[in-house]
Amino acid sequence: MSDRIVFEDVSKFYGEILGVNRVNLSIPPGITSLVGPNGSGKTTLMNLMTGLVKPTRGRVQVLDYRIGDPENLFRILGYSTQFDAFPKGLTGFQFIYSYLKLSGRDSQTAEQMAWRVIERVNLVDAAKRNIAGYSKGMRQRIRLAQALAHDPKVLVLDEPLNGLDPLARAEMIALFRATAAQGCHVIISSHILHEVDVISDQVILLSNGYVVAEGQISTVRGEIQDHPTQILIRCSKPREFAAKMFEDQHTIEVSIHKDERGLLLKTRDADRFYLALNQLAMNGIDIESVAPADDDVLSVYEYLIGSEEAVR
Amino acid sequence: MTRGMMSVWWAQIKAVVRLEMRKTFFAKRGLWIYLVAALPVLIFMAHAVATASQQNHRASVVRQSEKRLTYQDLLAVKSGMTREEVIAILGKPPIRFHWTDRRPNRAGSIVEVSHEDYHYSDGQNDLFVGLADGEVESINIQEGSNPGQDSIMFAGVFQFFFLRLAIFFGCLGIFMNLFRGEILDRSLHFYFLAPIRREVLMAGKFLAGLLATCAIFVTSEVLQTVAFLWHFSPSTRDVYLYHNHGLEHAAVYVGVTVLACVGYGAFFLVAGMMFRNPILPAAAILIWEGINPFLPAVLKQFSVIYYLKSLCPVDIPSPPGTSPIWALLVSNSDPVSAPVAVLGILIVAMIALYASSIQVRRMEINYTTE
Repeated sequence: MSDRIVFEDVSKFYGEILGVNRVNLSIPPGITSLVGPNGSGKTTLMNLMTGLVKPTRGRVQVLDYRIGDPENLFRILGYSTQFDAFPKGLTGFQFIYSYLKLSGRDSQTAEQMAWRVIERVNLVDAAKRNIAGYSKGMRQRIRLAQALAHDPKVLVLDEPLNGLDPLARAEMIALFRATAAQGCHVIISSHILHEVDVISDQVILLSNGYVVAEGQISTVRGEIQDHPTQILIRCSKPREFAAKMFEDQHTIEVSIHKDERGLLLKTRDADRFYLALNQLAMNGIDIESVAPADDDVLSVYEYLIGSEEAVR
Repeated sequence: MTRGMMSVWWAQIKAVVRLEMRKTFFAKRGLWIYLVAALPVLIFMAHAVATASQQNHRASVVRQSEKRLTYQDLLAVKSGMTREEVIAILGKPPIRFHWTDRRPNRAGSIVEVSHEDYHYSDGQNDLFVGLADGEVESINIQEGSNPGQDSIMFAGVFQFFFLRLAIFFGCLGIFMNLFRGEILDRSLHFYFLAPIRREVLMAGKFLAGLLATCAIFVTSEVLQTVAFLWHFSPSTRDVYLYHNHGLEHAAVYVGVTVLACVGYGAFFLVAGMMFRNPILPAAAILIWEGINPFLPAVLKQFSVIYYLKSLCPVDIPSPPGTSPIWALLVSNSDPVSAPVAVLGILIVAMIALYASSIQVRRMEINYTTE
């Protein structure tokens, strides 16, 4: 049995407009973030893996299921879309209950499961109210509840943190982590990069319908040869440290921090730097902390896609 | 296909029907369908009220008559009879108008002429006799309504308004919106995200549309029958219903209504999936159904109205002097037997539903292009 979500040479065109092109992916369990500017193909990729759109070319498989088989696919997959429309006249509870009834569950089980998931997304008080009167954040939660209602193994969430207040964001992130910790796939699209950075096990960077990078953030960062790695060091003798570092030909730039208690170093070979670091520590420089300064999604995103796109 | 799968599919169909019925029955944009369905009921109610008022007037004429008249008595009056001869047969007229005018005689001189109008009734029919200078000049017998004659009027309203317009457009409004309406509301993904076969979803939606249209139009049909029979006396109603196939006809009309909903529903379900604008397919189907009498026999079979007309229990006779085109439209020149007609509609509906099942499997959620 496969535990991967696989895209094999997948392209999707909407008429003459490109959705995604030549995508090859093999997504393992854990939290995977799709990152890219508007129109980069994040939602298309999610719609492809849930069968809401069909690939123009290539093949998509979710674990062992074909995307053309919704009857079985959606027993293991839950999708919280960005579409902000609901069947008319339903309360939050009826929305989840109807979804579970559509799955073929009996009334009693559907009711129990609906209340359980409504509780999970903290919407019990509003459950009997019509969705039309919900705030944006509440609508986001009820969509999330729909995706979670049947305890899926694969959770696909399109911009799930949009419209949520900070407390709710923290709750949701905890929920995603708990789901991933059970061995599930959690696929998230987001443009709030620092949140992606905090929660993702791996990222897929998209630009103009192409996958420009994929994998763990540190691995992706390591593969970017054009940009030197930035490392922040807090130490006792930063000037002495800087002088030693300039002896290495891979060091490009060093800037001393204003408080004279640290420095920012740019190097083409991070591995060589870490080896040298041990030597320096033995030479009487008191090293307080060493941390990569650009080993995050935002930096990787800026390097690969460009700062202008990142701002969008 | 296991028994377990079948029971899950059935549960899913019931869930879809429950959701769809709520939308279909209480949608504001479907209000006009109720009005269209109610229109023939209103027509028959108005007819019943008018006929009842006429009947009351006749009864009053009968009460004022010197003697009880029969239809044969009314027919006995001939042109050229004298006033006395008329009164000898029918008695003194219960209602009489009298006036004089001046007109030229054969010699060309202007003379004064005395006119009288007599109104007699046998309780069912009216006789109007016009006399000039004491001689019968004109005779006009107005036959009252009877279930036999009214059933032809009923058949006309049923075939030309109810089937071809009310049910046709009602099915268009309901079935085309089953998928198209949700695409426009951007809520179709709700169904597509559930673990349900697209064909099962389609079957559920079709069943919901069928239940809704049948409930609306069968109710209308039953109310039409009630309104149509309302003004007849209980004995006339009993004779018509139990001895003149009235009950049988009413049941057949209900059956034809249900089959019309099946046939047009299936057509409009697939049209709603294939076309963004409902006007084009609706116009195309309306024209196709309209020109059906003029089509070759082979092509006739691919329409719903061809089979429905064959099932209608009362033929509409063409009045003498009717143009050949109108006569062709009214008559059913090439009817098929009832079993063939029912089977034909079911086959046409199955073909449309099969096309729908292919279409629903191909459907994608792409609201931005709608």
